[in-house]
Amino acid sequence: MPQGPPPTQVEAARLLAQATFGPTETSIAQVQQLGVSGWIDQQIATPRPAVTHQAHIEARLVELGDAQANQFYETWWRQALYGDDQLRQRMAFALSQIFVISLTDPVVDARGAGSYYDMLSRDALGNFRTLLDDVTLHPMMGRYLTFLGNRKEDTSRTPDENYAREVMQLMTIGLVELNADGTARLDSGGQPIPTYTSADIAGLAKVFTGISWYSPNPTNNTFGGGGADPNRSVTPMIYYPTFHSTSDKVFLGTTIPANATVDVAGDVRIALDRLFNHANTGPFISYRLIQQMVTSNPSPAYVGRVAAVFANNGQGVRGDLAAVAKAILTDPEARDSSVVTSASFGKLREPVIRVANWARAFGARSQTGNFLITSTSANTSLNQTPLTSPSVFNFWRPGFVPPGTTQLGQRNLVAPEFQVVDEVTAAGYINSIQDWVNNGVGSTPPNGTGRDVRPVDINGVFYPTEIALADNPQALVDRMNLLLFNGQMTATTSARLLAAINGVTASNPITDTQRLNRAKTAVFFSMISPEYMIQR
Amino acid sequence: MTHFNDIKGAATRREFLRRATALSTVGAAASTFGIQLAAMGNAAAQTATNYKAVVCLFMFGGNDANNMVLATDNDSWGRYFSARAQGNDPIALMPVGTPAVAVGSVSPLTGRTVLNRSFPEFWGGVLPLNNPLTPNPVPPTTSASVRTFGLNPHMTPLQAVWDGGRLAIAANVGPLVVPTTKAQYQARSVRLPSNLMSHNDQQSTWQAGAAEGARRGWGGLMADAFLSQNGTNSVFTAMSTAGNAVFLAGSNVVQYQLSTSQTTPAIRINSAAANTTTVFGAANGGSRVREIIRDLTGTSYFMQDYGARVIRSQDAADLLNAQFAAGSPGATVAAPAQLTNPISGNLETNQLAVQLQSVAKIIAANSVLGVKRQVFFVSIGGFDTHDVQNASQAPLMARLAHAMAYFDTALANLNGINMRPQVTTFTASDFSRTFTTNGDGTDHAWGSHQFVMGGDVRGQNVYGNFPSIGVNVTNGFQNPDMSGNVFVPTMSTDQYGGTIARWFGLSDTQIASIFPNIPNFTSRYYDFLNAAIV
Repeated sequence: MPQGPPPTQVEAARLLAQATFGPTETSIAQVQQLGVSGWIDQQIATPRPAVTHQAHIEARLVELGDAQANQFYETWWRQALYGDDQLRQRMAFALSQIFVISLTDPVVDARGAGSYYDMLSRDALGNFRTLLDDVTLHPMMGRYLTFLGNRKEDTSRTPDENYAREVMQLMTIGLVELNADGTARLDSGGQPIPTYTSADIAGLAKVFTGISWYSPNPTNNTFGGGGADPNRSVTPMIYYPTFHSTSDKVFLGTTIPANATVDVAGDVRIALDRLFNHANTGPFISYRLIQQMVTSNPSPAYVGRVAAVFANNGQGVRGDLAAVAKAILTDPEARDSSVVTSASFGKLREPVIRVANWARAFGARSQTGNFLITSTSANTSLNQTPLTSPSVFNFWRPGFVPPGTTQLGQRNLVAPEFQVVDEVTAAGYINSIQDWVNNGVGSTPPNGTGRDVRPVDINGVFYPTEIALADNPQALVDRMNLLLFNGQMTATTSARLLAAINGVTASNPITDTQRLNRAKTAVFFSMISPEYMIQR
Repeated sequence: MTHFNDIKGAATRREFLRRATALSTVGAAASTFGIQLAAMGNAAAQTATNYKAVVCLFMFGGNDANNMVLATDNDSWGRYFSARAQGNDPIALMPVGTPAVAVGSVSPLTGRTVLNRSFPEFWGGVLPLNNPLTPNPVPPTTSASVRTFGLNPHMTPLQAVWDGGRLAIAANVGPLVVPTTKAQYQARSVRLPSNLMSHNDQQSTWQAGAAEGARRGWGGLMADAFLSQNGTNSVFTAMSTAGNAVFLAGSNVVQYQLSTSQTTPAIRINSAAANTTTVFGAANGGSRVREIIRDLTGTSYFMQDYGARVIRSQDAADLLNAQFAAGSPGATVAAPAQLTNPISGNLETNQLAVQLQSVAKIIAANSVLGVKRQVFFVSIGGFDTHDVQNASQAPLMARLAHAMAYFDTALANLNGINMRPQVTTFTASDFSRTFTTNGDGTDHAWGSHQFVMGGDVRGQNVYGNFPSIGVNVTNGFQNPDMSGNVFVPTMSTDQYGGTIARWFGLSDTQIASIFPNIPNFTSRYYDFLNAAIV
């Protein structure tokens, strides 16, 4: 790919809004130095943070005597805000909304959640086929979608169909046959064509039998949950041939014939190969990843270009997620700056990502180093917490068209993130962000004061860079424009922000407290502005 | 003449295609079904003299109704028990009259030692319901002189509501396009609803008559017919305590999210409370906050629609909170008592009851708000009991019964007025669950039993065809109502909802537009609600 002129600051910020948890001065400079393609390549090569999620949670388990969901949230925020591998962080977050497990379900324990998210991170820029294997064998998915300990059929019982259904519907092929560009294939009568029937589900369900907890000495007892190995929730599940169905397994046009010799691994491999190689999987996953990162309503051509890279990364490899991520971000539809004024391009920034934007832009530090940010699931908070969606259907559906909306709804444009927008959450976000901009976010450190995560320098001074600019309100506005609005602030909004900053009572000479107020005003008014809320 | 169900089906499929293709097809929206109805609705707007409210209580995940409403004649029970007393954690409930067995003791009935509180033996027998006022026919497969019924053992509070004539059971309800027999289902010889047994699609079908992607729900469409009656506070026509629900999406009606806060029914934007609110040291910061969050001039459709919801949030909050200042009607609705969780034994706050308290407050204030017709949506989740059904479903049954009874009691005296006859609450769920088990849980099924509650409900009766009970046995019992492990519904969701819509005050024509499959059924309505006195 020919290297054009280096990206401008604004172009860099736009890329980082799509590909990371938010631009920073440093990352903007990096993109400018390396170029879009070069930065992406560097990101793909950047290793994961040294302390894994699981390791953090286990350390906290020792320290606290217990580890719960909060300990997962700690390490999630630390990595999201400070992980150098930002592209991988963002991809893992996107994958956690497709391959959903949720801490709302008590079967998902903290260590298991950490291990599961580590797995997503490890595979996020790897191969999709590997990801399918690793998700299928992770005990937290086995528990969440209830196929851990699933038994073969007998006269009074049939195998649990939960995973068989959802792995098709939500994670690989979806409900209807797709063209390579993600549009629905139609039959001769103009109707969409279902990809599977209940018979396919029943057939596939038989494959996911005889899979259960790891044990160094597997027995029927360990299959059923007894004799628990202390690491079973963080170790891949193993096969128990005794409990695996040996009758014909027919699904998606594939038949695994009845077999006297039980080969659980072989059956699982055939099933996952079938899903991986299905024509739907490329466009299905590409569409969702584009929606997560760039825009809710990609053109079919855009989806098609990315799906083509899923099918073949250029070296004959199918399912290369790093290549897919690069294709998504380098595509003209993502990079063309003219879309910043397009009425239908873009997406509502996810609530959690807005807070991450703010924390990264303003260098938020943790007093304890543990990033003590707890659940933000209340509808008066963010109505979203990582790995904590209400169900396997995630916080929102890819095809959600907001009801009663005069612009999106009338045009049948999808806006998944609008599914959690209502009169309570809209007000709740504004109230919450006012509090956090003012005080920081998270719990109070033990034996400490204030919030754990605050936009401070090492001396505890809030918004130091912004305070230094506070005597020049326009400079404050410009900084907000770059870091939060990615350069897209309109003249109207700029004037309003300026007026708000100038509205802060200021003595002559201005005091530091007043400078801080100006800084907080700039940040708060930006974070609640409709222009900031939408990523274009 | 083009049949409405074809129009709706086609329009829904076009919308579905648009979603799948991620295209926006300008102009095609004009022919969607819902907009046709809006025109009709305005022309045929109903005039309401009395106040009425409908409450949809949605159980997310697919409730195993087979363990909620039981057929307790010996013959049915025997087959029920033998089918479900299987696996490593059997889900068969205990027969009527079985004493509870303490943890650590052996059940004389099953011979099992009760190891913990999630053993059905610990709960004791299902609760007998006094016989339906109108006897239900006994199926030919069942040897009994009369059909008798029972409730899940955790539903004691509902027995009194049943005895008071305010609780009815709708039997074997599910989405249908046309009347469908077991044979027709197995042969796929009639049109069937799309994506049966898929959670999101069936949630959408129960609420809106079509798979995920449906844009208008029947609650919203009912409310459309009365929107103009609700005056200046019509923003409060359709209200949810459980997030955006397609059930409440109308052609003109836009749902409003009701907070469950104990202090104010609406969440105020603090920084915009008044123009003079100080924000970060700026006097009149409030006016600037209002200005920036209410700005709809951005070019993005996303901005405009998001901003519109913020504006609505702020304006409605001012309105609603003013009505609920101390001393106003809604302030007097007492909070629900806490509930003992049957599995943990601990006291807990029942969030479903809290949602219904918020609804009760609004209902109490209906004359102050000046609204005539309201539709509410409340929900409870966790019903997808593929696993550990005993431990999972028990608390849900307890919460459901506790909350419904609380609501029934609250309605008896809202500001000194008995509002029970004016409020109808109905349950709904994705589907019921497989009759046999997978060892300790159940999978997705279809026909389910639901509750309808209210002062105008013709209660203490089971409506529709309560099916034969029992699973098919090779060379033995064959259940004419069950295909595989799944009941083929005999009451359609159209008929179920249509009956409620008729009570709400809609005409037969309007109902047939909202429920396009209803003309396919010989009887459009069931008898579980008194006829409408609009």
